[in-house]
Amino acid sequence: MRLKSYEDMNLQDLDVMKEISSIGTSHAATALSKLLQKEIRISIPEVSILGYEDTVERIGEIEEVVAATLVQMSNEVNGLMLFIFKLDLANAVLGKLIGRNYESFQDMDDLDYSALEEIGNIIICSYVNAFTQLVGVEIDLSVPSSTVNMLGGILTVPIAEYGYVTDKLMYINAEFIMEGKKLSDGLLMLPDIESLNSILEKLGIS
Amino acid sequence: MVEKQLKVGIGDMKFSRGDTQIITYALGSCIGITFYDPFLKLGALLHIMLPARTDPKDVKVFKYADSGIHETIRKLTAFGMVKNRTIVKIAGGAKMFEMKSGGNSDFGNIGQRNVMMVKKILMEERLRISGEDTGGAYARTMLLNVGNGDVFIRTVGRPEKRL
Repeated sequence: MRLKSYEDMNLQDLDVMKEISSIGTSHAATALSKLLQKEIRISIPEVSILGYEDTVERIGEIEEVVAATLVQMSNEVNGLMLFIFKLDLANAVLGKLIGRNYESFQDMDDLDYSALEEIGNIIICSYVNAFTQLVGVEIDLSVPSSTVNMLGGILTVPIAEYGYVTDKLMYINAEFIMEGKKLSDGLLMLPDIESLNSILEKLGIS
Repeated sequence: MVEKQLKVGIGDMKFSRGDTQIITYALGSCIGITFYDPFLKLGALLHIMLPARTDPKDVKVFKYADSGIHETIRKLTAFGMVKNRTIVKIAGGAKMFEMKSGGNSDFGNIGQRNVMMVKKILMEERLRISGEDTGGAYARTMLLNVGNGDVFIRTVGRPEKRL
């Protein structure tokens, strides 16, 4: 059966996405731990298909300031990847990388922002690389783009981009465990529906 | 003074009379449109997400600029709103991510398309926009005070602004 929207995915489809995601996120954790020279463990990710308001609620508060890196996918899979840093994860990363810590995102400067953008990009790229190897598809990634702003506003970008097709987002959430501290990340992988169908077909389920 | 506060979600509309605040949070590329008839102290806040309803069977009328504005006007008119004294203000339509080379350049322009469509429909409906805060690269929270028609815009790192 061809899917018309994310919410048509059944449990088996979601399980497959979860399997792929767990390999993707573990690659991302390895990349991050190399960069920070720290052991980083990662929990099995959860993959959920959620509406806008539920996604906001799962990640944080609607007006909460977060940093986000966005990369566009093209070639055999078209869509978006969005990585969201909440302040605790941003601080953990910046603390290790450049020895800085902040009370809020507004206190950061351009160097901090570009460091976060780059780390978001590394996480997304290693995730997508694992994904392409596993599924056997070619995916080209754009240059990353990033912003620091209200969570709710950032999430309107993917929801509006696919608004004519679906009101749902695919949210992949794993916990990074660094020096005994749990840090939640938020990764949104949003292939367009055609690409999602071809991914599931390639994996022999559909 | 305890005021009632109504929250408007994405692709939704709320209206009220008298001492009420109507608020919608974190408008990104979406647009918030306030309608206010000062004579009746009747106000509405509409939060649209996309320019046009392409599927006439789609029941989510407030998700789109065209069907959302039409339906809001229809409802308010039923409650006695008179167009030529109605004050309309709009906010939102931001471009949250600036794409650099390599990406699809058309991507992220939805905010701008939303602004254009909202203005076109309002003009067709002969409603003048008396306050506007659109574009830019940041999210906005919009609040309408139905008691006196004041509209406030809240953003990150800037003082609250009266529209």
